[in-house]
Amino acid sequence: MKRSNQEHINPKLFSARPLDKGRRTFILGLLGWAFSSTAAQAKGFWGSPVKTNHLRPPGAVSEEIFAARCIRCGRCAEACSYRSIKILDIRSGIFAGTPLIEVEKTPCFLCMKCGEVCPTGTLRPLKPEEVRMGVAVINTRQCVTWRAVALCRTCYNVCPFKEKAIHLDRLRPVVDEKFCTGCGICVHGCPVSPKAINVEPL
Amino acid sequence: MWSKKFKYQRVRLLVQAGAFLVILLNPLVIYYSKCSFVQGWYQSLAIGKLWFVSPLEGLESILVSKTVYFPLVIGLLPPVILALFLGRVFCGWICPINFLSSLVDRVFKRQGAKDQVVLPLWLIWFSLIGELMFSMIIGAPLFVFLSPPGLVGREIMMVVFFHTLALEGIIIVVVLALNLVTKRFFCRYLCPLGALLALLGVRRRLIVKLEAEKCKGCRRCGAVCPLGLAPQRGQAQGPYCWNCGTCIDVCPHQALTFFWRSGGENTSLHRGQNDTPPQGE
Repeated sequence: MKRSNQEHINPKLFSARPLDKGRRTFILGLLGWAFSSTAAQAKGFWGSPVKTNHLRPPGAVSEEIFAARCIRCGRCAEACSYRSIKILDIRSGIFAGTPLIEVEKTPCFLCMKCGEVCPTGTLRPLKPEEVRMGVAVINTRQCVTWRAVALCRTCYNVCPFKEKAIHLDRLRPVVDEKFCTGCGICVHGCPVSPKAINVEPL
Repeated sequence: MWSKKFKYQRVRLLVQAGAFLVILLNPLVIYYSKCSFVQGWYQSLAIGKLWFVSPLEGLESILVSKTVYFPLVIGLLPPVILALFLGRVFCGWICPINFLSSLVDRVFKRQGAKDQVVLPLWLIWFSLIGELMFSMIIGAPLFVFLSPPGLVGREIMMVVFFHTLALEGIIIVVVLALNLVTKRFFCRYLCPLGALLALLGVRRRLIVKLEAEKCKGCRRCGAVCPLGLAPQRGQAQGPYCWNCGTCIDVCPHQALTFFWRSGGENTSLHRGQNDTPPQGE
Protein backbone atom coordinates (compact mmCIF):
# COMPACT_ATOMS: atom_id res chain seq x y z
CA MET A 1 0.00 0.00 0.00
CA LYS A 2 2.67 2.41 1.05
CA ARG A 3 4.71 1.71 -2.00
CA SER A 4 1.86 2.15 -4.44
CA ASN A 5 1.01 5.44 -2.80
CA GLN A 6 4.46 6.73 -3.38
CA GLU A 7 4.29 5.61 -6.97
CA HIS A 8 1.23 7.74 -7.53
CA ILE A 9 2.69 10.89 -6.05
CA ASN A 10 5.42 12.64 -7.91
CA PRO A 11 8.47 12.20 -5.66
CA LYS A 12 9.75 15.64 -6.55
CA LEU A 13 6.57 17.23 -5.28
CA PHE A 14 6.62 15.04 -2.19
CA SER A 15 10.12 16.05 -1.23
CA ALA A 16 9.31 19.70 -1.85
CA ARG A 17 6.39 19.64 0.53
CA PRO A 18 8.03 20.55 3.86
CA LEU A 19 9.94 23.40 2.22
CA ASP A 20 6.75 24.63 0.53
CA LYS A 21 4.93 24.66 3.82
CA GLY A 22 7.61 26.70 5.47
CA ARG A 23 7.64 29.16 2.62
CA ARG A 24 3.89 29.44 2.65
CA THR A 25 3.71 30.19 6.35
CA PHE A 26 6.52 32.70 5.94
CA ILE A 27 4.77 34.51 3.11
CA LEU A 28 1.41 34.36 4.83
CA GLY A 29 2.96 35.66 8.01
CA LEU A 30 4.64 38.47 6.13
CA LEU A 31 1.38 39.38 4.43
CA GLY A 32 -0.51 39.20 7.69
CA TRP A 33 2.02 41.40 9.42
CA ALA A 34 1.95 43.94 6.59
CA PHE A 35 -1.83 43.91 6.51
CA SER A 36 -2.28 44.26 10.26
CA SER A 37 0.27 47.04 10.54
CA THR A 38 -1.25 49.01 7.67
CA ALA A 39 -4.71 48.35 9.07
CA ALA A 40 -3.59 49.73 12.41
CA GLN A 41 -2.23 52.83 10.71
CA ALA A 42 -5.19 53.04 8.38
CA LYS A 43 -7.63 53.23 11.26
CA GLY A 44 -6.47 56.76 11.85
CA PHE A 45 -6.38 57.51 8.16
CA TRP A 46 -9.66 55.95 7.07
CA GLY A 47 -11.58 56.01 10.32
CA SER A 48 -14.42 58.44 10.85
CA PRO A 49 -13.89 61.18 13.44
CA VAL A 50 -17.53 60.89 14.51
CA LYS A 51 -17.91 59.51 18.04
CA THR A 52 -19.65 60.38 21.30
CA ASN A 53 -20.12 64.19 21.48
CA HIS A 54 -18.18 64.60 18.21
CA LEU A 55 -20.90 64.98 15.60
CA ARG A 56 -21.54 66.14 12.08
CA PRO A 57 -23.44 69.42 11.61
CA PRO A 58 -27.23 69.17 11.28
CA GLY A 59 -28.68 67.70 8.11
CA ALA A 60 -25.53 65.70 7.26
CA VAL A 61 -25.69 62.71 4.92
CA SER A 62 -24.71 59.32 6.31
CA GLU A 63 -21.13 59.06 7.44
CA GLU A 64 -20.24 56.46 4.78
CA ILE A 65 -20.54 58.95 1.95
CA PHE A 66 -19.71 62.12 3.89
CA ALA A 67 -16.05 62.15 2.86
CA ALA A 68 -16.98 61.40 -0.74
CA ARG A 69 -19.53 64.15 -1.00
CA CYS A 70 -18.09 67.05 0.98
CA ILE A 71 -15.79 69.31 -1.07
CA ARG A 72 -14.24 70.90 2.05
CA CYS A 73 -15.15 74.43 1.04
CA GLY A 74 -15.54 75.42 4.68
CA ARG A 75 -18.57 77.55 4.03
CA CYS A 76 -20.54 75.79 6.77
CA ALA A 77 -17.93 76.83 9.32
CA GLU A 78 -17.97 80.39 7.99
CA ALA A 79 -21.76 80.54 8.08
CA CYS A 80 -22.03 79.04 11.58
CA SER A 81 -23.33 81.84 13.80
CA TYR A 82 -22.06 80.27 17.02
CA ARG A 83 -18.67 79.02 15.76
CA SER A 84 -19.79 75.52 16.70
CA ILE A 85 -18.43 73.98 13.51
CA LYS A 86 -14.74 73.13 13.52
CA ILE A 87 -12.74 72.10 10.46
CA LEU A 88 -10.61 68.97 10.78
CA ASP A 89 -7.06 68.77 9.42
CA ILE A 90 -4.95 66.04 7.83
CA ARG A 91 -4.63 64.14 11.12
CA SER A 92 -8.15 62.92 10.35
CA GLY A 93 -6.88 61.31 7.14
CA ILE A 94 -9.37 61.35 4.31
CA PHE A 95 -11.75 63.33 6.50
CA ALA A 96 -9.37 66.33 6.45
CA GLY A 97 -11.26 69.54 5.89
CA THR A 98 -14.65 68.16 6.90
CA PRO A 99 -16.77 69.94 9.51
CA LEU A 100 -17.30 68.56 13.01
CA ILE A 101 -19.16 69.84 16.07
CA GLU A 102 -17.74 69.06 19.49
CA VAL A 103 -20.89 69.56 21.51
CA GLU A 104 -19.08 69.47 24.83
CA LYS A 105 -17.23 72.66 23.86
CA THR A 106 -19.83 74.41 21.71
CA PRO A 107 -23.09 72.66 20.89
CA CYS A 108 -25.26 73.24 17.84
CA PHE A 109 -27.98 75.84 18.42
CA LEU A 110 -29.92 74.68 15.36
CA CYS A 111 -29.81 78.00 13.49
CA MET A 112 -29.67 75.88 10.32
CA LYS A 113 -27.43 78.29 8.38
CA CYS A 114 -24.94 75.56 7.42
CA GLY A 115 -27.46 73.47 5.52
CA GLU A 116 -28.51 76.52 3.54
CA VAL A 117 -25.00 77.30 2.32
CA CYS A 118 -23.67 73.79 1.61
CA PRO A 119 -23.14 73.59 -2.16
CA THR A 120 -22.89 69.80 -2.34
CA GLY A 121 -25.92 68.65 -0.38
CA THR A 122 -23.68 67.04 2.22
CA LEU A 123 -25.58 69.18 4.71
CA ARG A 124 -29.23 69.55 3.79
CA PRO A 125 -31.46 72.44 4.77
CA LEU A 126 -33.88 71.11 7.40
CA LYS A 127 -36.29 72.42 9.98
CA PRO A 128 -34.71 72.37 13.46
CA GLU A 129 -37.10 69.70 14.74
CA GLU A 130 -36.16 67.39 11.84
CA VAL A 131 -32.47 67.34 12.75
CA ARG A 132 -30.95 64.05 13.92
CA MET A 133 -27.29 64.64 14.66
CA GLY A 134 -27.33 61.91 17.27
CA VAL A 135 -29.31 61.06 20.35
CA ALA A 136 -28.74 62.10 23.96
CA VAL A 137 -28.23 59.31 26.44
CA ILE A 138 -28.40 59.88 30.19
CA ASN A 139 -25.95 57.99 32.32
CA THR A 140 -28.16 57.31 35.31
CA ARG A 141 -25.19 56.29 37.44
CA GLN A 142 -23.55 59.65 36.85
CA CYS A 143 -26.59 61.94 36.93
CA VAL A 144 -26.99 63.53 40.36
CA THR A 145 -30.77 63.60 40.07
CA TRP A 146 -30.98 59.94 39.16
CA ARG A 147 -28.62 59.12 42.01
CA ALA A 148 -30.86 61.19 44.26
CA VAL A 149 -27.89 63.26 45.41
CA ALA A 150 -29.25 66.61 44.25
CA LEU A 151 -32.18 68.03 42.36
CA CYS A 152 -30.61 69.14 39.05
CA ARG A 153 -32.60 69.57 35.86
CA THR A 154 -30.21 71.65 33.76
CA CYS A 155 -30.56 69.39 30.71
CA TYR A 156 -34.32 69.73 30.88
CA ASN A 157 -34.08 73.51 31.22
CA VAL A 158 -31.71 74.08 28.31
CA CYS A 159 -33.29 71.61 25.87
CA PRO A 160 -34.71 73.47 22.84
CA PHE A 161 -37.48 70.85 22.67
CA LYS A 162 -38.32 70.78 26.34
CA GLU A 163 -41.14 68.43 27.32
CA LYS A 164 -40.73 66.62 24.02
CA ALA A 165 -37.07 65.57 23.78
CA ILE A 166 -36.44 65.66 27.51
CA HIS A 167 -39.23 65.43 30.04
CA LEU A 168 -39.21 64.90 33.78
CA ASP A 169 -40.39 61.61 35.17
CA ARG A 170 -40.83 62.07 38.92
CA LEU A 171 -38.31 64.97 38.68
CA ARG A 172 -35.75 62.79 36.89
CA PRO A 173 -34.83 63.72 33.28
CA VAL A 174 -35.76 61.21 30.57
CA VAL A 175 -34.81 61.50 26.88
CA ASP A 176 -37.35 60.68 24.20
CA GLU A 177 -35.42 59.39 21.17
CA LYS A 178 -38.34 60.29 18.93
CA PHE A 179 -37.81 64.02 19.45
CA CYS A 180 -34.13 64.36 20.43
CA THR A 181 -32.19 66.22 17.70
CA GLY A 182 -28.76 65.48 19.15
CA CYS A 183 -27.87 69.17 19.25
CA GLY A 184 -25.85 68.64 22.43
CA ILE A 185 -27.00 71.75 24.30
CA CYS A 186 -27.82 69.44 27.26
CA VAL A 187 -24.27 68.01 27.16
CA HIS A 188 -22.83 71.50 27.15
CA GLY A 189 -25.06 72.45 30.08
CA CYS A 190 -24.60 69.36 32.23
CA PRO A 191 -22.68 70.47 35.37
CA VAL A 192 -21.49 66.97 36.31
CA SER A 193 -17.99 65.86 35.36
CA PRO A 194 -17.67 63.53 33.52
CA LYS A 195 -20.91 64.46 31.75
CA ALA A 196 -23.99 62.60 32.86
CA ILE A 197 -25.65 63.15 29.49
CA ASN A 198 -23.86 62.47 26.20
CA VAL A 199 -24.89 62.53 22.56
CA GLU A 200 -24.23 59.26 20.76
CA PRO A 201 -24.01 59.36 16.95
CA LEU A 202 -26.71 57.44 15.13
CA MET B 1 10.29 99.12 -21.47
CA TRP B 2 8.00 101.29 -19.33
CA SER B 3 6.34 102.94 -22.24
CA LYS B 4 2.79 104.21 -22.12
CA LYS B 5 1.75 101.11 -24.03
CA PHE B 6 -1.09 99.20 -22.45
CA LYS B 7 0.24 96.20 -20.50
CA TYR B 8 -1.93 93.24 -19.69
CA GLN B 9 0.43 92.35 -16.85
CA ARG B 10 -0.54 95.43 -14.83
CA VAL B 11 -4.20 94.61 -15.15
CA ARG B 12 -3.54 90.96 -14.38
CA LEU B 13 -1.54 91.77 -11.26
CA LEU B 14 -4.41 93.96 -10.06
CA VAL B 15 -6.96 91.22 -10.73
CA GLN B 16 -4.78 88.60 -9.01
CA ALA B 17 -4.18 90.83 -6.01
CA GLY B 18 -7.90 91.58 -5.82
CA ALA B 19 -8.76 87.89 -6.01
CA PHE B 20 -6.25 87.17 -3.27
CA LEU B 21 -7.59 90.00 -1.13
CA VAL B 22 -11.06 88.44 -1.37
CA ILE B 23 -9.93 85.22 0.29
CA LEU B 24 -7.63 87.10 2.67
CA LEU B 25 -10.16 89.64 3.94
CA ASN B 26 -13.28 87.54 3.65
CA PRO B 27 -12.68 85.35 6.73
CA LEU B 28 -11.81 88.47 8.73
CA VAL B 29 -14.99 90.21 7.65
CA ILE B 30 -17.09 87.15 8.50
CA TYR B 31 -15.35 86.53 11.81
CA TYR B 32 -15.47 90.08 13.12
CA SER B 33 -18.63 91.50 11.56
CA LYS B 34 -20.68 88.28 11.37
CA CYS B 35 -21.77 89.37 7.90
CA SER B 36 -21.43 86.28 5.72
CA PHE B 37 -22.67 87.78 2.46
CA VAL B 38 -19.53 86.61 0.67
CA GLN B 39 -18.33 83.18 1.78
CA GLY B 40 -15.68 80.67 1.00
CA TRP B 41 -12.64 80.65 -1.25
CA TYR B 42 -11.77 79.18 -4.62
CA GLN B 43 -13.19 75.75 -3.83
CA SER B 44 -16.62 77.20 -3.45
CA LEU B 45 -17.34 80.89 -3.36
CA ALA B 46 -20.71 82.43 -2.61
CA ILE B 47 -21.73 86.00 -3.30
CA GLY B 48 -25.14 86.19 -1.70
CA LYS B 49 -27.11 83.40 -3.30
CA LEU B 50 -24.82 83.14 -6.33
CA TRP B 51 -22.63 80.09 -5.88
CA PHE B 52 -19.46 79.12 -7.65
CA VAL B 53 -18.06 75.62 -7.23
CA SER B 54 -14.63 74.66 -8.48
CA PRO B 55 -15.15 72.24 -11.42
CA LEU B 56 -12.78 69.50 -10.27
CA GLU B 57 -14.03 69.48 -6.70
CA GLY B 58 -17.62 69.29 -7.92
CA LEU B 59 -16.76 66.56 -10.42
CA GLU B 60 -14.98 64.54 -7.74
CA SER B 61 -17.95 64.87 -5.41
CA ILE B 62 -20.31 63.64 -8.14
CA LEU B 63 -18.04 60.80 -9.30
CA VAL B 64 -17.03 59.47 -5.92
CA SER B 65 -20.39 59.75 -4.15
CA LYS B 66 -22.19 58.73 -7.38
CA THR B 67 -25.01 61.13 -6.66
CA VAL B 68 -25.94 64.37 -8.36
CA TYR B 69 -27.19 67.26 -6.27
CA PHE B 70 -28.78 69.81 -8.52
CA PRO B 71 -27.62 72.98 -6.71
CA LEU B 72 -24.07 71.66 -7.09
CA VAL B 73 -24.52 71.45 -10.87
CA ILE B 74 -25.80 75.03 -10.91
CA GLY B 75 -22.77 76.11 -8.90
CA LEU B 76 -20.49 74.36 -11.41
CA LEU B 77 -22.00 76.18 -14.39
CA PRO B 78 -20.34 79.64 -14.12
CA PRO B 79 -16.73 78.36 -13.88
CA VAL B 80 -17.34 75.74 -16.56
CA ILE B 81 -18.83 78.29 -18.96
CA LEU B 82 -15.93 80.64 -18.20
CA ALA B 83 -13.46 77.87 -19.04
CA LEU B 84 -15.36 76.89 -22.21
CA PHE B 85 -15.09 80.43 -23.57
CA LEU B 86 -11.90 81.77 -22.05
CA GLY B 87 -9.85 78.65 -21.24
CA ARG B 88 -7.57 78.48 -18.23
CA VAL B 89 -8.11 82.10 -17.18
CA PHE B 90 -8.70 80.96 -13.61
CA CYS B 91 -5.09 79.75 -13.45
CA GLY B 92 -3.63 82.87 -14.98
CA TRP B 93 -5.80 85.58 -13.50
CA ILE B 94 -7.33 84.35 -10.22
CA CYS B 95 -5.56 81.32 -8.71
CA PRO B 96 -3.87 82.30 -5.42
CA ILE B 97 -1.06 79.78 -6.02
CA ASN B 98 -0.11 81.56 -9.23
CA PHE B 99 -0.24 84.92 -7.44
CA LEU B 100 1.96 83.67 -4.60
CA SER B 101 4.28 82.01 -7.13
CA SER B 102 4.75 85.32 -8.94
CA LEU B 103 5.60 86.88 -5.57
CA VAL B 104 8.17 84.10 -5.04
CA ASP B 105 9.57 84.89 -8.49
CA ARG B 106 9.91 88.54 -7.54
CA VAL B 107 11.47 87.86 -4.14
CA PHE B 108 14.03 85.38 -5.51
CA LYS B 109 14.50 87.42 -8.72
CA ARG B 110 13.59 84.46 -10.88
CA GLN B 111 11.37 86.20 -13.41
CA GLY B 112 13.81 85.64 -16.27
CA ALA B 113 15.43 82.50 -14.86
CA LYS B 114 15.80 79.38 -16.91
CA ASP B 115 13.73 76.29 -16.13
CA GLN B 116 15.95 73.56 -14.73
CA VAL B 117 13.60 70.61 -15.17
CA VAL B 118 11.55 70.52 -18.34
CA LEU B 119 9.07 67.70 -18.74
CA PRO B 120 6.52 67.05 -21.46
CA LEU B 121 3.39 69.16 -20.99
CA TRP B 122 1.01 66.27 -21.59
CA LEU B 123 1.89 64.92 -18.14
CA ILE B 124 -0.88 67.13 -16.82
CA TRP B 125 -3.50 64.92 -18.48
CA PHE B 126 -2.17 61.89 -16.64
CA SER B 127 -2.30 63.88 -13.44
CA LEU B 128 -6.02 64.52 -14.01
CA ILE B 129 -6.83 60.96 -15.03
CA GLY B 130 -4.72 59.45 -12.27
CA GLU B 131 -6.18 61.70 -9.62
CA LEU B 132 -9.77 60.93 -10.62
CA MET B 133 -9.13 57.19 -10.96
CA PHE B 134 -7.32 56.94 -7.64
CA SER B 135 -10.04 58.93 -5.89
CA MET B 136 -12.70 56.64 -7.30
CA ILE B 137 -10.77 53.50 -6.39
CA ILE B 138 -10.26 54.44 -2.76
CA GLY B 139 -13.72 56.02 -2.61
CA ALA B 140 -12.55 59.32 -1.21
CA PRO B 141 -11.86 62.48 -3.20
CA LEU B 142 -8.28 63.67 -2.75
CA PHE B 143 -8.11 67.00 -4.52
CA VAL B 144 -10.82 68.47 -2.30
CA PHE B 145 -8.54 68.51 0.72
CA LEU B 146 -5.13 68.54 -0.96
CA SER B 147 -5.67 71.16 -3.66
CA PRO B 148 -3.06 73.93 -3.22
CA PRO B 149 -5.38 76.78 -4.34
CA GLY B 150 -8.06 75.53 -1.95
CA LEU B 151 -5.55 75.05 0.85
CA VAL B 152 -4.49 78.70 0.65
CA GLY B 153 -8.07 79.72 1.39
CA ARG B 154 -8.53 77.08 4.07
CA GLU B 155 -5.33 78.03 5.87
CA ILE B 156 -6.31 81.69 5.96
CA MET B 157 -9.72 80.72 7.32
CA MET B 158 -8.16 78.36 9.89
CA VAL B 159 -5.89 81.13 11.17
CA VAL B 160 -8.72 83.63 11.50
CA PHE B 161 -11.37 81.28 12.89
CA PHE B 162 -9.44 78.75 14.94
CA HIS B 163 -6.06 80.52 15.43
CA THR B 164 -4.21 77.49 14.11
CA LEU B 165 -2.81 76.16 10.85
CA ALA B 166 -3.68 72.86 9.24
CA LEU B 167 -0.71 70.53 8.78
CA GLU B 168 -1.41 69.90 5.12
CA GLY B 169 -0.48 73.54 4.45
CA ILE B 170 3.06 72.21 3.92
CA ILE B 171 1.83 71.33 0.41
CA ILE B 172 1.58 75.04 -0.39
CA VAL B 173 5.18 75.56 0.71
CA VAL B 174 6.36 72.64 -1.44
CA VAL B 175 4.41 73.83 -4.48
CA LEU B 176 5.79 77.36 -4.12
CA ALA B 177 9.32 76.04 -3.58
CA LEU B 178 9.09 74.02 -6.80
CA ASN B 179 9.01 77.39 -8.59
CA LEU B 180 12.71 77.68 -7.79
CA VAL B 181 13.38 74.60 -9.92
CA THR B 182 11.02 75.33 -12.76
CA LYS B 183 8.60 78.22 -13.08
CA ARG B 184 5.06 77.01 -12.16
CA PHE B 185 6.23 73.40 -11.97
CA PHE B 186 3.04 72.28 -10.25
CA CYS B 187 0.77 74.29 -12.56
CA ARG B 188 2.49 72.96 -15.67
CA TYR B 189 2.74 69.27 -14.95
CA LEU B 190 0.76 68.30 -11.87
CA CYS B 191 -2.34 70.42 -11.27
CA PRO B 192 -5.41 68.29 -12.07
CA LEU B 193 -7.68 71.33 -11.83
CA GLY B 194 -5.59 73.11 -14.45
CA ALA B 195 -5.86 70.01 -16.63
CA LEU B 196 -9.64 69.96 -16.32
CA LEU B 197 -9.86 73.66 -17.19
CA ALA B 198 -7.50 73.07 -20.13
CA LEU B 199 -9.69 70.21 -21.30
CA LEU B 200 -12.78 72.41 -21.10
CA GLY B 201 -10.96 75.18 -22.95
CA VAL B 202 -9.68 73.13 -25.87
CA ARG B 203 -12.18 74.86 -28.17
CA ARG B 204 -12.21 78.17 -26.32
CA ARG B 205 -12.99 81.45 -28.04
CA LEU B 206 -10.30 83.64 -26.50
CA ILE B 207 -6.84 82.78 -27.78
CA VAL B 208 -3.46 84.44 -28.11
CA LYS B 209 -3.18 84.69 -31.86
CA LEU B 210 0.13 84.72 -33.66
CA GLU B 211 0.39 86.80 -36.80
CA ALA B 212 3.19 84.89 -38.42
CA GLU B 213 4.07 87.62 -40.94
CA LYS B 214 4.81 90.11 -38.12
CA CYS B 215 6.90 87.66 -36.08
CA LYS B 216 10.65 88.18 -36.38
CA GLY B 217 11.45 85.07 -34.36
CA CYS B 218 13.14 86.85 -31.43
CA ARG B 219 11.66 84.24 -29.02
CA ARG B 220 11.15 86.73 -26.20
CA CYS B 221 7.63 85.41 -25.75
CA GLY B 222 8.89 81.88 -25.14
CA ALA B 223 11.37 83.13 -22.56
CA VAL B 224 8.73 84.85 -20.43
CA CYS B 225 5.89 82.34 -20.76
CA PRO B 226 5.21 81.03 -17.24
CA LEU B 227 4.21 77.67 -18.70
CA GLY B 228 7.24 77.31 -20.94
CA LEU B 229 5.16 77.42 -24.09
CA ALA B 230 6.48 78.71 -27.38
CA PRO B 231 3.99 81.33 -28.60
CA GLN B 232 6.24 81.98 -31.60
CA ARG B 233 5.21 78.54 -32.82
CA GLY B 234 1.52 79.19 -32.18
CA GLN B 235 1.52 77.07 -29.01
CA ALA B 236 -0.46 79.75 -27.20
CA GLN B 237 -3.46 78.65 -29.25
CA GLY B 238 -3.22 75.11 -27.90
CA PRO B 239 -4.98 73.77 -24.82
CA TYR B 240 -2.26 74.48 -22.24
CA CYS B 241 -2.17 78.28 -22.56
CA TRP B 242 -3.85 80.10 -19.70
CA ASN B 243 -4.33 83.42 -21.52
CA CYS B 244 -2.28 85.47 -19.11
CA GLY B 245 -1.02 87.77 -21.84
CA THR B 246 2.61 87.88 -20.69
CA CYS B 247 3.83 87.06 -24.19
CA ILE B 248 1.63 89.78 -25.72
CA ASP B 249 3.25 92.40 -23.52
CA VAL B 250 6.84 91.49 -24.34
CA CYS B 251 6.40 91.07 -28.07
CA PRO B 252 8.20 94.05 -29.66
CA HIS B 253 6.50 93.55 -33.02
CA GLN B 254 2.89 93.20 -31.89
CA ALA B 255 2.76 89.81 -33.52
CA LEU B 256 0.71 88.37 -30.63
CA THR B 257 -2.77 89.61 -29.77
CA PHE B 258 -5.79 88.42 -27.83
CA PHE B 259 -8.22 87.21 -30.43
CA TRP B 260 -11.88 86.24 -30.09
CA ARG B 261 -12.52 83.56 -32.65
CA SER B 262 -16.09 83.04 -33.69
CA GLY B 263 -17.70 79.62 -33.90
CA GLY B 264 -16.94 79.08 -37.60
CA GLU B 265 -13.23 79.60 -37.10
CA ASN B 266 -12.70 76.54 -34.97
CA THR B 267 -10.33 75.19 -37.56
CA SER B 268 -7.89 78.01 -36.82
CA LEU B 269 -6.89 76.01 -33.76
CA HIS B 270 -5.41 73.28 -35.88
CA ARG B 271 -3.94 75.70 -38.35
CA GLY B 272 -2.28 77.56 -35.50
CA GLN B 273 -0.74 74.45 -34.03
CA ASN B 274 0.60 73.21 -37.32
CA ASP B 275 1.95 76.57 -38.39
CA THR B 276 5.38 76.27 -39.82
CA PRO B 277 7.77 78.10 -37.54
CA PRO B 278 8.71 81.56 -38.79
CA GLN B 279 12.25 82.63 -39.52
CA GLY B 280 14.71 82.16 -36.70
CA GLU B 281 13.21 78.93 -35.48
